[in-house]
Amino acid sequence: MRLMHTKLTEFIQRLQAAAVRHTPAMKLEIKGMENVRSAKMQSLRTGRIVNAVEEVACTDGVGRIEVLVRPRMPETMHTLIIKGYTRDGKAKKAIVETVDMLVPTEELDLFDCEEVIDRRPKMTVYTKI
Amino acid sequence: MTQLKYKLLPENSAGGILPLHVALVDYRDVLDAGLDMPGACQAVANAIDGPVAINIIDTSAVTTTSDGIMVPSAIRAMAASDRGKIHPEFGYIPMAEIPHTPEILEREPHLRQWDLNYPGRRLFRGPDVADKAVPVHNVVITGRACNNNSGTEMMHLVTMGEILMPYIGQHVIMTGQGRLLTGLSGEHISVGIGMTIAEKFGRVFSTYRYRAGDTAHGSGDQAKTLKCDIPCIVADKRTHASFVIAALKAGMIPGRHIGCSPVNLSIARALHLPIDLDNITPRAWLELESVGFSREMLESPAPKLTEAEVLDRADEILPGVVNPRLCEVDELVQTGCAEEAVV
Repeated sequence: MRLMHTKLTEFIQRLQAAAVRHTPAMKLEIKGMENVRSAKMQSLRTGRIVNAVEEVACTDGVGRIEVLVRPRMPETMHTLIIKGYTRDGKAKKAIVETVDMLVPTEELDLFDCEEVIDRRPKMTVYTKI
Repeated sequence: MTQLKYKLLPENSAGGILPLHVALVDYRDVLDAGLDMPGACQAVANAIDGPVAINIIDTSAVTTTSDGIMVPSAIRAMAASDRGKIHPEFGYIPMAEIPHTPEILEREPHLRQWDLNYPGRRLFRGPDVADKAVPVHNVVITGRACNNNSGTEMMHLVTMGEILMPYIGQHVIMTGQGRLLTGLSGEHISVGIGMTIAEKFGRVFSTYRYRAGDTAHGSGDQAKTLKCDIPCIVADKRTHASFVIAALKAGMIPGRHIGCSPVNLSIARALHLPIDLDNITPRAWLELESVGFSREMLESPAPKLTEAEVLDRADEILPGVVNPRLCEVDELVQTGCAEEAVV
């Protein structure tokens, strides 16, 4: 289906459009995926995120919006490509390695917020807390 | 209101080496307060602002250190909290009980210490794989707080500061039996913490990864610098030696049943107890040799000491901890009281 995944460029455009739909002066900034040049975004969630941007923009007192992109899982394994180029720009040699990263969870971005609504599906069966 | 006592090492205490708060809770106090373990962790989280690593310790249970020494208490659950919040998915995990079965004793020969030294106690080490939301490490994370390696390595994920609290030191804090050393880990601990044993649901690895005699680091002569500059709070060397001696007397052989850490090797050598030199892997030898523990050294004659002499001279016999400072437990540990609303 051609609408199964949303192009990254369209994702960003739709968020910007949602921010100003009812509040033309609203500023929106996306942080946390500055190095992502191309991606296909899950359309099912894109629609919900667009609605969320509009909902936050229409909240009384809000003057600007940040969309903060964080890993869903605070431990992520990454591939590192240590890539060497010749002086004339030819890719000469690469060594591929892995590194595990532990990062803070989203509480870091939420502590200072008056109201938080979490619409994420749970990702684990252990939900005793 | 029910009240729950906890032991606290505050953030920035111990000469500034604690990068976050560390709270240890006695499992008996959890039961006496009528709480379950998640509720107890939440009560402590509510009582302390800022990032906290929380361990619930059962002094009627038994555990193993990462190099296979059994200790008569165990971490039952660990949590990470920040500003009163415990992350619902990643912030809390219980440790798995290892049932006493012929199969586990067969598969993990270091557990022969169990019936000989600590019969009847329930065994807990690391979490069950099925309970782990975070895929690789045995870790809990909330906000800035990170409690890793089944409650023995705690980190502040914004300042990126870290504290190593190997388990025997936590046992000392909970029981009051012994004293504490603070300092930097040093090269011997850096090598020693890689000399693990293979366990099911172990404190570092959930599956049978690196057997006794092998190294989990595999870093050659760089193993000594891998984790040499980390602030640590450990048991005093006399107390640590007493647990290793108990393991050796139960028939444990470093390199065969228990890890070939410099500490285990040093004590076995001093007592003229066997070390399985042939079972130490070449890559483990590289790491041991980098801190002066060659095969030649271990085979060379050394005066035979009695157990009492090893204990009295533990500070010179056991390597590890740079710039150590000896402390009484109550110099480092405060007592707090968390209140929990009765529902």
